[in-house]
Amino acid sequence: MKVQVESERDLQRRVFDSVLDMLPDVDNPTPLVRVRDAVPSGSVLLAKLEWMNPLGSVKDRAAWAMLRGLEEAGELGPSRPGRGVVEPTSGNTGFSLAALASMRGYPVRAVVPAKVPLEKRLLLRLAGAELDVTNDALCPLPGAEDGAIGLARSHARAQPDKYVMPNQYENPNNTLAHEHTTGPEIWHQTGGGVTHVFAALGTAGTAMGLSRFLKAQNPLIKIIAVQPSAGHDVPGLRNVSELGVSKLYDPALIDRIVEIPYEHAYTRAARLLRREALRAGPSSGLIFEGALAVAADEPIGLGVMIFCDDVLKYTASMAKHLPELGDAGGPA
Amino acid sequence: MTVSAQGVAREGVIDLSGGAGPLVSQRWLTERLRDPSVRLVEVDVDPKQYAAGHIPGAIGLDWAKDLQHPTRRDVPEPGVLAKLLGERGINERHTVVLYGDSANWFAAYAFWLLKLYRHADVRLLDGGRSQWLADDKLPFTTELPSFAPETYRIGAIDLSLRATVAEVLPLAVAASARAGARTHAGADAGAHAGAGATSLVDVRSPDEFSGKIIAPPGLNETAQRAGHIPGAVSIPWGSAVNPDGTFKTEAELRKLYIEDKGVRADAPAIAYCRIGERSSHTWFVLRYLLGLRDVKNYDGSWTEYGNLIGAPIDKA
Repeated sequence: MKVQVESERDLQRRVFDSVLDMLPDVDNPTPLVRVRDAVPSGSVLLAKLEWMNPLGSVKDRAAWAMLRGLEEAGELGPSRPGRGVVEPTSGNTGFSLAALASMRGYPVRAVVPAKVPLEKRLLLRLAGAELDVTNDALCPLPGAEDGAIGLARSHARAQPDKYVMPNQYENPNNTLAHEHTTGPEIWHQTGGGVTHVFAALGTAGTAMGLSRFLKAQNPLIKIIAVQPSAGHDVPGLRNVSELGVSKLYDPALIDRIVEIPYEHAYTRAARLLRREALRAGPSSGLIFEGALAVAADEPIGLGVMIFCDDVLKYTASMAKHLPELGDAGGPA
Repeated sequence: MTVSAQGVAREGVIDLSGGAGPLVSQRWLTERLRDPSVRLVEVDVDPKQYAAGHIPGAIGLDWAKDLQHPTRRDVPEPGVLAKLLGERGINERHTVVLYGDSANWFAAYAFWLLKLYRHADVRLLDGGRSQWLADDKLPFTTELPSFAPETYRIGAIDLSLRATVAEVLPLAVAASARAGARTHAGADAGAHAGAGATSLVDVRSPDEFSGKIIAPPGLNETAQRAGHIPGAVSIPWGSAVNPDGTFKTEAELRKLYIEDKGVRADAPAIAYCRIGERSSHTWFVLRYLLGLRDVKNYDGSWTEYGNLIGAPIDKA
C-alpha cells in the first residue's frame, strides 16, 4: 500500500519557497492515515487529513485555483486596480481566500451565515477580511439561493469596481482543483487501489472533482456522498435538498448518498479525537459515520475519507452538541 | 392593469397574463421603475440584503423593526404603520410592489399586512430578489431613494384576512373529536369534516409538523409543545416555488394544494406556521394564485397555539 512518489525532488530535504508551494499536489499530498476505531474487520478506511493544508482546510485547494483563474482571466490584478473579492463562505473558503488574496494584495469581503462558529468568524477578521454575517436558514427553503450567496452577489452586482465574486458554487476551478490535485494524490497514495471515496457535500466541488478524476482511472471506484439529516447545523455542509445553490453538483457522478443524523457528526468527531488522536472536525465525524454505515452493508476494500478540517475551530459547536462538555464551565 | 388587486380579488378572477394581477413579472416592473404611481418596496429575511444593493428606487423596510409591533408580537398599530409608510413616501393610492429575498418570504408577509390594513393595490414581484440578481443586465444599486413624505390614510384591519385562536381552536377540537370517533367506531366513521369545512394548512417544515422539533434551530420565538393542529394538512411553504424562487404554475399549484393535499377550493382555508410569516406566503398562493375566496392567515400560529394549555395537538 505504501507508494513511492515518482519525483526528481528530494522531498525529505524540501524547504518551501512560499506557502503557495506548500499547497498540496501529487508531489506533496496531504497525509492518508488509517482509522481503526469501530471499523469492522474486512474493511480498510483511510482518512485524508485536509487540515494539513497550509491554512488548515480542504478549501485551500479551491481558493487558490479560483484566485489563479481570476488573475489569469484579468478579473483581478494590475488591469483592475483596487478590485477585491467577495465570497459567500461558511468560513473555510473565506479564510483560505482571505489569507491568499491578502497575500496577493486584494481586499476581501466574506459573507458568513450566523450559524458559523465565532472562532471561524474571528479567523476571517484576523486574515484581513471584512465581514458580513447573515441570518440564514431560518427555515430551510429547498433549492432557493441562500442569504449569504445572495448578499455576496449583491455586493458584486452593485459595486463591480470593488468586488468580483469567485463564487465557489459555480466556479469550475473549484471542481478542477480536486480533479487536478486531490484525485491524483489519492490515486498515487493508494497505488491505484482505492475502491471507495467518502466526501461531504457543501459546494459539491470536492466530490465532483474526485469523481471525474478517479472514475477516469477506474470506473468501479465508488464515490459516496455523506449528508447530514435535514434541519442540520453542521457548518459547511449541505443536505442534497439544499444543493440547488450549487451549479457544480451533478448527481450522476455520485454512486450513493448516505444520510446520517447530524448529531452523530459531533459525537463521532469527539470519539475520533479520543480513540485515534485525530483532531477531526464535525464534518469529518459525519463522513466517518457515513463510511461506517456503508461498511456495515459491504466490505470496503480501500476507502478514502476526506476529512475537511479539524476540530479546533469548533469547540463552541461541539459544546452545544455534547452536554458532557458543560463541566468545563462557562467563559473564563 | 387598471384593475386593482382588490378588484381582482373581489371578482375571484386572477389575471396573470402580462403580470397585470397581484403577481407581476420582472418585465412589468422594469417598464414601471420610474412610474410615480408605483412604489417599490423590498422586505427581506435579512435586512443586510437591501443595504448591499437593491432595485433602483426600492424603499427598504425591515420586517422586525418596521412591520411588527415592538412588544406585543402583533401587527404594528395602524397609526405607527401609517406614519412609517408616509415618511417613506408611500400613500394609500400608490401601487405598492413588494419583493424580497428567500423567494419573497417576508415580502409576502408585508403583502398580507398591507392588505390587512386595506391597501388597495399591492403586487408581488415573481422571483423576488434572487431572480433579479441573477440577471446581470437588470439595474442594481446601493443608492437610497428619496421620496417626498406623503400622508398615508390607513384602513381598519380587515378581519376577513386574519384568523385568531378563537376561530382555530374549535376547528382543532372538532377534528380531534372526529379522529377519536374514528378510533372507536372503526375506519372512516366521521373521518370527513363535511361540506364547507375549513381547510387548515400547516406550512412549516415536516419536522415541525410531525413534532420532531418545536422550531427550526436557533430561533427565539417558540412554543412549549411540539406537533400540529389536529386536522391540518402539511404543505411546506417552499413547495409553492421553483428552485429559482419563482412561483410554480397555477396548474402545478392546483395539483399540489387541491388535488394531492385536499385543500378545498370551495371552502374557507386558514394557513399557519410558527409566527405567521411563512403562512403569509401560502396565504398569497391560495388567495391570489389559486383564487380561493376565503383565505385567512393565522398569524398567532404555532408560537401561540403550541403554548395553549389543554389544546389538542397531533403528532406525526
